[in-house]
Amino acid sequence: METNDFSQPIRQSTKGIIVIFAFNLVKFVKKFFVLFIAFGVSVFRNKSVGNITPTMVLLALIGVLIIILIIAILKYLNFKFHISKDDFHLATGIINKDNTIIPKSKIQNVYIKQNFLQQIIDVVSVKIETAGDKKSEIEISALDKPTALLLKKKLFKKAQIDTQAIEDAEQVNEPEVFFKVTPKRLLLEGLSQNHFKSFLLIFGFAFGLYSEFKDFLVELELENHIEGLVELDETAILNLIITNVIIVIGVVIVSFLFSVVKTFIINFNLEVVEHQKTIEINKGLFNKVSLSLTPSRIQNLVITTNRLKQYFGLHTLAVKQAMVNVKQQKNFNIVALEKAQLNYLVDKLLSNYVEDKSNVAKPRPYFMRISALEMFIFGVIINALAWAIFGMEMLWINAVFLPLAVLYVYIAYKKAYYIISEDFVTIGSGVIDTTTNILEIHKIQSVKLKQTIFQRPKAIASVVISTASKSVTIPYVQKSEAISIYNFLLYKVESQDRDWM
Amino acid sequence: MAFTNPQIQTEDLPNVEDVVLKPISKSYLKIIALNGLAFYSLILGALFGLKYLIKEAPFQNNFWYLFFGVLGLCIFSFIMSILAFKKRKYAVRGYDVIYAKGLIVHSVVTVPISRIQHVEESRSWLARHFGLSTLKIFTAGEAGSDLSIRGLQHLEAKSINDFISSQVDGNK
Repeated sequence: METNDFSQPIRQSTKGIIVIFAFNLVKFVKKFFVLFIAFGVSVFRNKSVGNITPTMVLLALIGVLIIILIIAILKYLNFKFHISKDDFHLATGIINKDNTIIPKSKIQNVYIKQNFLQQIIDVVSVKIETAGDKKSEIEISALDKPTALLLKKKLFKKAQIDTQAIEDAEQVNEPEVFFKVTPKRLLLEGLSQNHFKSFLLIFGFAFGLYSEFKDFLVELELENHIEGLVELDETAILNLIITNVIIVIGVVIVSFLFSVVKTFIINFNLEVVEHQKTIEINKGLFNKVSLSLTPSRIQNLVITTNRLKQYFGLHTLAVKQAMVNVKQQKNFNIVALEKAQLNYLVDKLLSNYVEDKSNVAKPRPYFMRISALEMFIFGVIINALAWAIFGMEMLWINAVFLPLAVLYVYIAYKKAYYIISEDFVTIGSGVIDTTTNILEIHKIQSVKLKQTIFQRPKAIASVVISTASKSVTIPYVQKSEAISIYNFLLYKVESQDRDWM
Repeated sequence: MAFTNPQIQTEDLPNVEDVVLKPISKSYLKIIALNGLAFYSLILGALFGLKYLIKEAPFQNNFWYLFFGVLGLCIFSFIMSILAFKKRKYAVRGYDVIYAKGLIVHSVVTVPISRIQHVEESRSWLARHFGLSTLKIFTAGEAGSDLSIRGLQHLEAKSINDFISSQVDGNK
């Protein structure tokens, strides 16, 4: 296999049978899980249901396993692929034979993944993605690593030759590991995440539990309430505060742990390898993935950080490529980058990108009115909930809520900006996080001007810019400004005959 | 060839505001009206159905309030959709297609022809009766950047379709 150039149809590694078997088994169990449980329980409880004994069930189960195994073996035997001059060929199917041919130039991306099972038996799966719809994705689920790397190289190298200069093929620089995350930085990354979401989730859960068993306590206290007002105010309120504080602290700790563990599992051993033209990301603990980023396929870059992260020098770079399914999109995040490393990567992925500080423009103050309105609605909901659940006393939360709301509106406006330069659009936003969205003008797919009936008298409008992977909005600018941005972007896209991919 | 790099004055760029947008066919108003009436009568019919199903007093006593409330909403949204009809406009320029719509939220979308993946002309049963068709323009983007221009005269849609198709093919 060492000298394989993939010109002859070959099968995957024999271990593929195990992977296919496991995969089909999981699929089968998922489909019939409920049935299994219901049926199994009733059989074992009554010892027999209509002449069916546990032994028969066991036999049936073994039968099913054998059938799945046979299917896996057949699938394995009928799965062959090879590379011809310009195309990748794949033949699959036990009864219905499928023959897929993908021109190399149409291959979007080649991923190498390794899930837990694959890690144990030491194989990797290669996923080939094209620009078409989701159905045309191809996954070869078991190859040994050197073969997979070779295959990837073959597919990718040739695929690029027609778009880029042939000289690439000649000068093969040793790829260097540009960035490798340390556990310490991952820990910081996990800790400094925006905990609001996981916090709210866990808080909601904990609160549900708490209020369940709190119910009769409250009832007891209410009776006390009528008997002795003075006595209660001291102890009960103190108790209430203490329990609340304990709950909140517990929730905070759990949500921190949650974030940290999640960060570690996803980004374990995160590594950015720099190739001649592309950048490769390797990461994952249970699911190891290896992805390549080609600058020409990138549609948007999103940089996220927050106050705390900025202090630690942690930046997250999310790369949005065209036509990548949502699940895969998450894998294109590179976390815990230093500012310098971030700038270097951005520079590598977008040539000639400069953040032109002199061109910074801001939305109209109308922006604040909209965020204030949002906050107002949110406030009304919170108040209504608090009032409905706890009664009048709970309205003190407004004392906390109001300053936060004001801060929210102020920060949201302060952080909102946009820069339109010769070749790039940069849009900044965020409240807790600081988000920077960058896109190349020639990758724009469509431009939209949006104006509500209320904005018309004030001559305010928004511009929505869509690329193949994401839509971004320049919110609430002067109508004339919006029109000129609109015209400029269209002019840029239509006058330069540049491909978006 | 001498390379020149003249400065671009944003004011001199082709302006979308100068484009005279064409309204879509008047007959489409009938389709909007028919669709609307069918939808509202379905809702009101369902409401009456509930009246016979639910026998509880609070519902029965307040039925007419509810009914008129829903009716009012229907009439309001009907008027809105009729008024919004005037805002449905389109234009085809040499390099892009423009479509404007919406009364409460007015939007003007422009898709450069070089970014169009394919065009499709589709005609529903009702639209065929009025000689109308819908022109669907697909880009590579998210669903958000696809255009569908409803209520075009059949011939008009066909000619735009042909124009865009030839342009898209020409680019390749």
